[in-house]
Amino acid sequence: MLNISVVNIVCTILNLLILYFVFKKFLFGRLDEILKARQEEIDQATAAADKAIEEAKASKKEYEEKISFAEEEKEQILADIKKQGYVEYEKIVDDAKKKGEQIITEAKHNAEVEAYRSRDKFAADIKDMVIDAASKIAATKHSSEDDSNLYDKFIDEAVSGKNG
Amino acid sequence: MKELLTELLMEDKTLIHVPFGNGFFDICNSVVVTWIFMAIIIAVILFLTHDLKVHNISKRQAALESAVMFLRGAVSGMLGEEAAGYTDYIVTVLFFIGLSNMVGLFGFTPPTMDLNVTIALSVMSIILVESAGFLRKGPKGYIKHFAEPMAVVAPMNVLELVIRPLSLCMRLFGNILGATVIMELIKHVVPVVLPAALSLYFDLFDGAIQAYVFCFLTSLYIKEAVE
Repeated sequence: MLNISVVNIVCTILNLLILYFVFKKFLFGRLDEILKARQEEIDQATAAADKAIEEAKASKKEYEEKISFAEEEKEQILADIKKQGYVEYEKIVDDAKKKGEQIITEAKHNAEVEAYRSRDKFAADIKDMVIDAASKIAATKHSSEDDSNLYDKFIDEAVSGKNG
Repeated sequence: MKELLTELLMEDKTLIHVPFGNGFFDICNSVVVTWIFMAIIIAVILFLTHDLKVHNISKRQAALESAVMFLRGAVSGMLGEEAAGYTDYIVTVLFFIGLSNMVGLFGFTPPTMDLNVTIALSVMSIILVESAGFLRKGPKGYIKHFAEPMAVVAPMNVLELVIRPLSLCMRLFGNILGATVIMELIKHVVPVVLPAALSLYFDLFDGAIQAYVFCFLTSLYIKEAVE
């Protein structure tokens, strides 16, 4: 047990080296291949996931921009519409006012014309009556008493004609 | 007691007698036992690694992967980052010594109880340590490192070239021999039950511990050499 044999030492070293190469080639080598392949897949998947995230972020930003732009646009359109509506409203009100004034003016004018016309008619009536009365007086012999009666009649007629 | 030690230490361990060379080429028992468990371990490795897949791995592969990753992680932790390239060799040595210590369970004499085997292991270790230092520091740096931290300790550093492998070799040999001697004595005193229980300690636990210690110290030396 205690004697030292160089051949046996060399044999053990060779055994150890053989075992090392077997471990290295078959155990670690084969396992490393698998692990490397798996790592590569994981790296690829991670890279793809990162890329997808980047893309998603980019499109999100884009959409957010679009949305904010749409918001602005909406505000703008609303403002425009309000403005337009206001202008339209003003115009309508203005038009209505003008129309009203015009109607009033026309009505006044019509009333004036009507008044003139009825006055003219009244005057014509009076004129006819005066002429009538005059012709009646002229046609008949008369006394001062008759004249007085006539005047009274005339006045009565005139008053009733005016009232009537 | 004395006969037992004589029997264990002086037994004729030659197993294969080579007819020429006057006994110089005789192959010891330990080497043959090593061959046997090497054949088994190689067969096991070939079986375990014959159908490895990237996806949908079998339980066998999952167990193998996690075991190897665990061992490698533990060993490369001892070696440190700079010497991580020596992990595979250390794992191999761990297996070699561990199995050598444990073949006693199957009725063989542990190969590590033969001084030739432990000498071979420690020679390999010191060659690895020194070549790691040499490769790392270059010829100049390698020579210089003997004079560190100061020139006075240079003889000590040179002596370490012998002391380190000697201590590695003797520690392993002594532990396994001691365990075997104690086991033999216990078997003489209490032939049943107790040897089975104590065999758990002396063959399994002590075997694993000694394998770990050997690898740990070798790793430590390598780590120190490449710093």
